[in-house]
Amino acid sequence: MTVSRRLEALREAGVDYVAGVPCSYLKTFFAACGALPPASYLPAVREDHAVAACVGAWLGGRRALAVMQNSGIGYCLEVLTSLHLMYGVPLPMLVSDRGAPTDFEEHRILGQRTRQLLDLFGIPWREARPGREKVEARWLVETSEKERTPVVLLVGKGTDV
Amino acid sequence: MTRAEVVALTLSLLSEDDIVVAADGAISREAYRAHDRERTFYMLGSMGQVASIALGLAMTRLERVVALDGDGNLLMGFGGLAMVGGIKPPNLYHLVLDNGCYATTGGQPALSQKVDLSAAALGAGYPWARRSFSDDHARSALESWLAAPGPAFLDIAVDAEERDQAPRIPMTPEEMVARARAALSGE
Repeated sequence: MTVSRRLEALREAGVDYVAGVPCSYLKTFFAACGALPPASYLPAVREDHAVAACVGAWLGGRRALAVMQNSGIGYCLEVLTSLHLMYGVPLPMLVSDRGAPTDFEEHRILGQRTRQLLDLFGIPWREARPGREKVEARWLVETSEKERTPVVLLVGKGTDV
Repeated sequence: MTRAEVVALTLSLLSEDDIVVAADGAISREAYRAHDRERTFYMLGSMGQVASIALGLAMTRLERVVALDGDGNLLMGFGGLAMVGGIKPPNLYHLVLDNGCYATTGGQPALSQKVDLSAAALGAGYPWARRSFSDDHARSALESWLAAPGPAFLDIAVDAEERDQAPRIPMTPEEMVARARAALSGE
């Protein structure tokens, strides 16, 4: 069974529902999600549906986390703006940080603008650092609940642990 | 029957504990006017996400979750059908108020006139899915749907024209969400 220090840290911080669409940068995390109880993990078919399901789970009393590749932010914008931001629904998010000049072409255009895009909508974000999983998990959950907003932790190479 | 009449009839058949997700736009306003309840979540935007929100609720709650969806709304977020059919939450009841058009934007025809939504739901994995007309049999169609094994799907044809326009809901989005969450989780 795959163990993910990041998933364990998020569970310790109170996350008890995960919805997401896999990214190869988040292989370890998603492998560990497979061992979650069936009612706590939704393998979503697209990122907008994942974040919408998180609203349902949050209404139901859970602390819901959305996980995706940064390209998925594009699909999510309508839901993040007219559900989470408009209603004030907290949403911790793990988003892969793709788009470096050495990455494949299909990741570059949106990937290199991920930070600008989040800044444009006032969505707080941080870059994950190795060994900081517990601090980052608490920051994600606490910031999203205090400010009642989506909050993004960008997961780059070497931080999917 | 009009969509507003079927929305009102559906709400009259539910129990107090049932959780309702009402689609953005007219369906939410009609649900509010017919029978406002604390356990109804009113969507204002994010068209296409009715089934996904209902799924998040159905996975995390034991009560019955009733999704009041529209045909154009469902088509926009068709992947939500696959998620419900794949996960199969037994407490999710999905109703499509199908007027065959985009009524609030001027009645432009929708592809729901040509796509068999209940066959798509069956194909996605819902154990029970039917199509019905909203004539004298509407009540029995709704009762059969609510008594079926879940997740159950009913595509009910309604008039393309409404008698009037239900007013906007006099609550802020923050008030809507705070009320629904408090009713469900006591927070």
